[in-house]
Amino acid sequence: MTDDQQPGRWPELLRKSFGRSFWVFVVVALAAGALCYFVLGAEVFAAGLARDRALLADFLPRVAAAQVVAGFVWVLIPRDRLSEFMQHGRGGRGLVLATAAGAITPGGPASAFPFLAILAGSGADRGILVAYITSWALLGIQRIIVWDIPLMGIDFSMFRLMIGAPLPIIAGLMARRIRIDLVLESTPPPDSRR
Amino acid sequence: MRELGGLFIYAAAIALALYTLSRRDATFRAGVRRALEQSLTLLPRMIFALVAAGFIVRLIPTEIIVSYLGSEAGFKGILIGSLTGLIVPSGPAVAFAIAAAFALEGASVPALVAFLTGWSVFAAHRVIIFEIPLLGAHFLRLRMLSVMPLPIIAGTMALLVTGF
Repeated sequence: MTDDQQPGRWPELLRKSFGRSFWVFVVVALAAGALCYFVLGAEVFAAGLARDRALLADFLPRVAAAQVVAGFVWVLIPRDRLSEFMQHGRGGRGLVLATAAGAITPGGPASAFPFLAILAGSGADRGILVAYITSWALLGIQRIIVWDIPLMGIDFSMFRLMIGAPLPIIAGLMARRIRIDLVLESTPPPDSRR
Repeated sequence: MRELGGLFIYAAAIALALYTLSRRDATFRAGVRRALEQSLTLLPRMIFALVAAGFIVRLIPTEIIVSYLGSEAGFKGILIGSLTGLIVPSGPAVAFAIAAAFALEGASVPALVAFLTGWSVFAAHRVIIFEIPLLGAHFLRLRMLSVMPLPIIAGTMALLVTGF
């Protein structure tokens, strides 16, 4: 996602938001709609369209509010300190720290994976690396705020968070047991500030 | 349940806005700017992702989804949910839209947990775009072996907690 804060990036952002992946979604939506219309008939198509409208009216205000929350969380969490924080623990404590760090890492994969590469380069063990990225994928607070709560409801999200909490630690323990050689592409990318 | 989630989000947005304003530094502006940038990049895609998911769910016969992921499917629902999660090679917009549509059609909570867990840990697009270039195939193999059982574990735990 967008990681820089330089001014004057709106035209670039607009190009990005209506870029190729946007048109892929448009084409898929049109194709699915057309298939619905021609295979299942006009009535099912109309019902689908009505439900789409209801879903959008239902979701959009909440998604917008979630974006506001995610924006503030993103600026409030000191991302450069996360790395320091992760170096403090080995053993079981390290896995717990890695899980916590993964959950609070803001931003999409464009921030989490470069951060993972930095950790790998700084000599974190395989358990910590796997626990960190698993936690980011499963428990990442930003994703829960932006997608999980608005679309699935808070009860389900909190339930899934509770069930998911021990999983990164399990994955980290598994990674430490698996005896395969680990050769890393350990050169961090040029803009590896976070 | 939906209403509570909405209220929570709005309350959190207002609380964070007030807090960052009270700091009297650039935090509020930076946060608003970040939110606008993210909304601009996400919302157009999200709108069409939801529309697509709505039609796709119509195209997949409802009874089949319910019989595979519904509450009477039990452990089989967890297995199918995990496998479905593996084959959704896209970002959270589509994955969560599909999950929400499954939920409306009557998929069980353990099956939904297994689906979202499977998608979270495997998401193929992330592997191709970020993981292989930045960490390499060795790390990918190690991670895949480590997270393989997680969707089943998550679904089973959800099944145990929600009661049979």
